[in-house]
Amino acid sequence: MSFQAIVIGTGVDALVAAHLLARRGNQVLVVEERSPARQDFGWVPAQLIGELGLELKAGAPDPWATALLPDGAKLELWRDIGRSAGSIRRHSEHDARAWPDFCRRMAALARLFEQIYLDAPTDPLNLRFALGVRGLGREGMVDLMRLLPMPVAELLDDWFECDALKGALAAMGILDIQQGPRSGGTAFRFLHHHVGSPEGVFRPPRTDLSTRLRQAARPGLHFKAAETKKILTKAGRARGVLLGDGEEIEAPIVISGADPRRTLLELADPGWLDPELARAVGNVRARGVAARLWFEGFSFEGPANGNLVFAPSLDYLERAYDEVKYGRVSREPYLEAHSSPRGLEVHFQYVPQGTKEDFGDSADLAATARRLLPGLENSKLVSILGPADLEREEGWPQGQPHHAELALDQALWMRPLPELSQYKTPIEGLWLCGPAMHPGGGVAGATGYNCAHAILKERN
Amino acid sequence: MKSYDVAIVGGGHNGLVCAAYLARAGKRAVVLERRERVGGAAMSEEVFPGFRFSVFSYVVSLLRPEIIRELELPRHGLHILPLESTLTPLREGGKEGDYLAQWNDHDQNRRELARHSPRDAEAYDEFGLELHQMARLIKPILAIAPPDPVSLHPRELLDLARLARMFRNIEKKKFNALWRLLTMSSAEYLDGWFESEALKATKSASGIIGTMLGPRSPGTAYVLLHHYMGELDGVFRAWGFAKGGNGSVSAAIAASARSSGAEIRIRAPVQKILVQNGRAKAAVLESGEEIHADVVVSGADPRRTFLGLVGEKHLPAEFADAIRRFRFRGSSAKVNLALGELPNFTCLPGRGPHLRGAISVSPSVAYLERAYDDAKYGEISRRPYMDIVIPSMLDPAMAPPGKHVMSIFVQYAPYHLNGGWTDARREALGDAVVDTLASHAPNIRSAILHRQVVTPADIERVVGLSEGNIFQGELSLQQMFFLRPAPAWARYRTPIDGLWQCGSGTHPGGGVMGASGRNAAAAILGKRA
Repeated sequence: MSFQAIVIGTGVDALVAAHLLARRGNQVLVVEERSPARQDFGWVPAQLIGELGLELKAGAPDPWATALLPDGAKLELWRDIGRSAGSIRRHSEHDARAWPDFCRRMAALARLFEQIYLDAPTDPLNLRFALGVRGLGREGMVDLMRLLPMPVAELLDDWFECDALKGALAAMGILDIQQGPRSGGTAFRFLHHHVGSPEGVFRPPRTDLSTRLRQAARPGLHFKAAETKKILTKAGRARGVLLGDGEEIEAPIVISGADPRRTLLELADPGWLDPELARAVGNVRARGVAARLWFEGFSFEGPANGNLVFAPSLDYLERAYDEVKYGRVSREPYLEAHSSPRGLEVHFQYVPQGTKEDFGDSADLAATARRLLPGLENSKLVSILGPADLEREEGWPQGQPHHAELALDQALWMRPLPELSQYKTPIEGLWLCGPAMHPGGGVAGATGYNCAHAILKERN
Repeated sequence: MKSYDVAIVGGGHNGLVCAAYLARAGKRAVVLERRERVGGAAMSEEVFPGFRFSVFSYVVSLLRPEIIRELELPRHGLHILPLESTLTPLREGGKEGDYLAQWNDHDQNRRELARHSPRDAEAYDEFGLELHQMARLIKPILAIAPPDPVSLHPRELLDLARLARMFRNIEKKKFNALWRLLTMSSAEYLDGWFESEALKATKSASGIIGTMLGPRSPGTAYVLLHHYMGELDGVFRAWGFAKGGNGSVSAAIAASARSSGAEIRIRAPVQKILVQNGRAKAAVLESGEEIHADVVVSGADPRRTFLGLVGEKHLPAEFADAIRRFRFRGSSAKVNLALGELPNFTCLPGRGPHLRGAISVSPSVAYLERAYDDAKYGEISRRPYMDIVIPSMLDPAMAPPGKHVMSIFVQYAPYHLNGGWTDARREALGDAVVDTLASHAPNIRSAILHRQVVTPADIERVVGLSEGNIFQGELSLQQMFFLRPAPAWARYRTPIDGLWQCGSGTHPGGGVMGASGRNAAAAILGKRA
């Protein structure tokens, strides 16, 4: 059997790229290092679902977030903007009035990014980009220019006074990054996680896209469970992969869903890279800052399929961040919980680099979660993974699910580096499709989609 | 009644620069200064008998060379004495040799860096080259009036296209490097270059000056670049003092303005700007005197100008909103000491050439970040970042014979202090500074003859800078270029006909640059700067 393309990895993006190439009549082999995720986090663009001919059910929890407050009170945020305003009104009349306008202004910016995200990135001097930005109109353009470099705390302080509301929203600005809500660029991250969501919803959906893609039959698409040892090259061209069992498989195109550092400095021979580029690849920032905990047998009041958020104020989040700056686990962490196939999954931020053993007694993290999230008291801890564990289990470099931190200097046409932003690498035939690429993690499948289209475009 | 072409509110350095350029163009200009001397925050004062201080701003480096040239400032008394070095003690109570010094002399500097890290010594020149290149890219932008990217007006579109072309002509690689500088934190940016903590910390400290941000906050890498602008052009090459203190900078600009025919009135506090039918008519003094002029220019910061002197009722709601949102959050303080003897640093004892340079208390990035953490929650940094100079070492006239003046720039001292600023809190800040300094130079306590502590609240009260922000508004990316001070109003014009702004609350911002004043004058004259 001869293949036109080999895809390394089973991340959602790798699967999307594999499907799109197979759909065009190519023989594609997916080298599976681990079983695909049972749940995917992030917006799945309708265009992508359409091209793949999939029927996808995205969870649409309502309320989409239940913010828990230290005094036991709750703030429920609903898909209906008026209903959310009603919840907010119990905390602040001012914020309830501001809510619909805030939702409208953020949605307008998100629509622009929906377009930008489904294409290879262009730099801001590109005319098409400039026209897209001008299409926002006066208010939208000013919002965009101010918002991009801002700390999410300043954005929210401009609009709201209620700590609980600001905390629950700001959480999306700091999710999975070693920054606090007062760090610049976090407003952009907040917006990034809003892209694709309906107006007034500030949590990306969860889907079973990976599972569906793995199960969907498609002629020309093949799977093989194996570890990739090497990307084989010859005269500056990719020619295949070497697997863990010593088998060599040839193909003129190799698409890597692994992160750029592993792909270019470990799997491929780094000798092919310009030393300056090799240094830059080594300097791509990817630091995981969260642990994941799974619990069984919890009992929350109310709907369990939404997100339970413990992020009671901006200062609370900022203090949580202060601790990780000096290498400590947050004693008062940002927590967000939702139900998953493995039980109740709790996102625990911040924890410094390391395995769960490195945090001392991992029971401390569970105890903290139990203390802060009501309903967990009698539940059983099933599993806990720190950043180093997540690297081993999920292939996330240093536990960073985006593979490269999504910060402004590593976003858009700079993602993960300007030289790699078009999904191509200096090794001909070797392509990158993981979340380290534009538009990044939190948009399920878009990097695979963009990468596959870049390959198809070059071949035509 | 005497009438003027231009009335300028505030005799800070930008107001004076603006007046000087307008007067040279033949305009009858008058500068109205509230205090008994001009200069705003760039002023010298004999605070204690025999001891003269640059009470607020204390070094010169960013003042635009074209301004020095065009206004012939040396002829009007400006004399710059260069600072030769920066000394960073590595730790409190450290032993002899526990320091990192940076020298202007290239070879000496390289030897010293290599003592700490041969790799850093190698990287240093390349680092300097990159910043130099970046500063050269930014330099032309300093002198333009930022176009409004949202406007459809042909002139704005033309300027926008010109700007886009300028950027497009930049080599891609440099453009991307510039983008990184604009969006990164100074600590992360420096992590890519160096390994020695003290070097990273001392360099990253230029990224936090005047901001309410820590060295790990994105956006600070730009402030670092902003402070590199002064090391261009071969005019200054380095940071320096004005002989006689920073008041001499203002005095030289004022002298130049007067020689071109500008009138400068002191003790002339402006109470409001008279607006009739959407047009600025006059500056009204507290005495009730109305100074009528075709054009009124405000050198005060945007909040004072629009919400104070003009009044919200004359402003479009959207503009007033933008001005209200403009962030100040002063975070810097000054401690001025009159010394009976020189400080003796444990890490480098004795009276060496290092005392003729700056001494930076910035042992590590984590140290600076901790200092910021305190301030974030409304407290004075327990162990603050300090930039120390001893002007009397270079200019003996600043102190009585054998005695010295020491100027300490301190961060962070948040304007929004928990419980507010009181005399006791001011002294507590002074104590924190002296305690920190004493841990590096133990003789300092007995050397102090007098102490003056200037908090952000004092800066606001005395100089009139809102919230004591030394840049008239934070130099963060969302408050820069065409957003400074408000979208669509970054070209020194205002929504009020006949009213212009020339303070550092406009592009390109503060640091005793004078660029705002010069650009404003060009805009008022209808010239391209």
